[in-house]
Amino acid sequence: MPRFLTRIFLCALLAPGLRAQQTEVVLSATSSAKLVLAMTTPKATGLDDATVAAQFTAVLKKDLDETGVIAMLQERLPADGAPAKAWKEAGAQWLLNTKLTKAANGDLQMEASALDTAAEKGVFSRTYNANRIVPLRYLAHYLADDLVGRLTGEKGVASSRIVFVRQTSPGVKEIFQVDRDGAGLVQLTRHGSLTLSPTLATDGRLAYVTYKGGAPEIWGQRKKDGPHEKLYPVSGAGGMLTSPVWSPDGKRLAFVQGDRRGNSDIMVLDLSSLRARRLTDSNGINTEPCWNPNGNQLAFTSDREGGPQVFLMQDDGSNLRRLTGEGLYNASPAWSPNGAMLAYVSRFEGKFDLFVYKLGEGKAYQITTGVSTSESPAWSPDERRLVFTSNRFGSSQLFTTDLSGRQILRLMELAGCQSPRWIRGR
Amino acid sequence: MRYGTYLVPAAIVITLGSLACKPPKTAEQIKQETQAAFNEGAQAFKDGKARTTNPYLADKDNPHKMQGWNDGWDAAKAEKEAADKAATDKAAADRAAAEARAAADRAAAEEAARKAAEAEKAAAFKKAADAALLTIHFDFDKSEIKEKDRAILQGIADFMKAFPVAKVEVEGHCDERGTNEYNLALGNKRAAAALAYLKTLGVDEARFTTISYGKEKPICAEAKEGCWSQNRRGEFKLK
Repeated sequence: MPRFLTRIFLCALLAPGLRAQQTEVVLSATSSAKLVLAMTTPKATGLDDATVAAQFTAVLKKDLDETGVIAMLQERLPADGAPAKAWKEAGAQWLLNTKLTKAANGDLQMEASALDTAAEKGVFSRTYNANRIVPLRYLAHYLADDLVGRLTGEKGVASSRIVFVRQTSPGVKEIFQVDRDGAGLVQLTRHGSLTLSPTLATDGRLAYVTYKGGAPEIWGQRKKDGPHEKLYPVSGAGGMLTSPVWSPDGKRLAFVQGDRRGNSDIMVLDLSSLRARRLTDSNGINTEPCWNPNGNQLAFTSDREGGPQVFLMQDDGSNLRRLTGEGLYNASPAWSPNGAMLAYVSRFEGKFDLFVYKLGEGKAYQITTGVSTSESPAWSPDERRLVFTSNRFGSSQLFTTDLSGRQILRLMELAGCQSPRWIRGR
Repeated sequence: MRYGTYLVPAAIVITLGSLACKPPKTAEQIKQETQAAFNEGAQAFKDGKARTTNPYLADKDNPHKMQGWNDGWDAAKAEKEAADKAATDKAAADRAAAEARAAADRAAAEEAARKAAEAEKAAAFKKAADAALLTIHFDFDKSEIKEKDRAILQGIADFMKAFPVAKVEVEGHCDERGTNEYNLALGNKRAAAALAYLKTLGVDEARFTTISYGKEKPICAEAKEGCWSQNRRGEFKLK
């Protein structure tokens, strides 16, 4: 009790200090108003104009346009040296100035500052240093993320990454990673067999299921940047294994184990003791576990009442309750990073669409609408978008959508993709 | 005349003396005579004469001839015995080799026959497996065994009983609709349903393994029911 009080007292002391360091948040995260931002041509040294235009300006504009909180001023732009008043009259609320320098050794420096055109005062100023292995486009991502952070209080996701499964040849699937803007595709596994269900811990550790030994096994990284090794079964055969999901603290792994009677159960593996605990009671299909952000509840899909429906329970299996009410096929729950929403897929008239269930309202909202099948929703780290797979342009590709379902963007033109997961890059 | 009186008897004495005591033989002569006697002895053996027929046995003056003759006879005998032995040995070796060849041929023939029998058995096994291990199908989001697939499962049970060494993996598959993870669980349920049915037909379930591939290994890729119904399946593979 005294310790508890001390902690509260410390928090009370620290909180105003922290708040004082932060600058005032301009837009609330829920506000639908967009800030209009204009950008002068970057002043570049050691970089040619074409490179800057393609790998910085275009990237930054696209990043900011996709934030959902910033609108780029595109037309009737004043000249670069025009006074703030001219920019204000053209419609810009903020004016962004950037200076890029590439040193002889290839290192990059960026000085960025933003001016409030009405108040004619600086609202943002930051210098970025990056060594030569960092691509120029990443500086654009970092700047976009910090501008969003300045504006909303939560950093943007332009520098985030998406990890997903892709078929490389019939019967062979591997795990890949791509930057949020569709650039920088990297293959993460080379098992030469079915490799499925990637999950990323907040520190970037990967886990997944692979059939490389014939029967499925859960593989992953015990340490950050460590080698990929078998995590489960510890010994012997494990039967059907799917859906590993790191707990928010990265110490436990929820997964699904099937038995020879056709049941599948939600299990939780403690990574330090290597002890696995069964949370569901072998009464049909229980699968697709996902943690709430606190790590004390799990959502999952079960057919215990007939068709697949989404259920919630505590992390010890207690307090089980059904979440989804309407529809005969609701599956693939994904708990939002702040814990207030659950995305899932629902089958209606033969098509699968994305829905978001708002826990506070106890109501579900449809996000995509029946053009074609949409599956496997995963939240962006800032909770503003969902990444998902869809066959709207043919064989299963990756898309992102805002929560209104109006701004659907194709991540890249790559077929045969599934099971996307979204994680911050820095 | 007086000289003649002495000279003539002296000459006679010398002549007679020289006739009576022959001069001693040289080493070369002895060697030649020994060799001649050796050759005679060897010839005598070849002619089948006994060692006791040595003509020099009584020739006390020439023991080297007796010895040479005996040596010749002995050498010829030894030579003949060696030749005889070599011939015997060779014959034995030839016989042994012939026997070994015959045995090898027999073994090869037996092996070939065994292999042929095995191949025939394997071919029969494979033929029976191919005939029996047919694919069964399921309805959307269902894992119940369909009426029309019961004959297939009975055929699989009969095959397992006819070939007690057979081990089979039951694969559960799904169509592309629905989530990857849910379909993996559904595939497991389908494989388990097939296994449970086979168990009721009296086959030891320990002879089966089950695996689910969910919707990860479709055999038909188009988005239409004609394709989906092919993909919602249970396959049976020899392990």
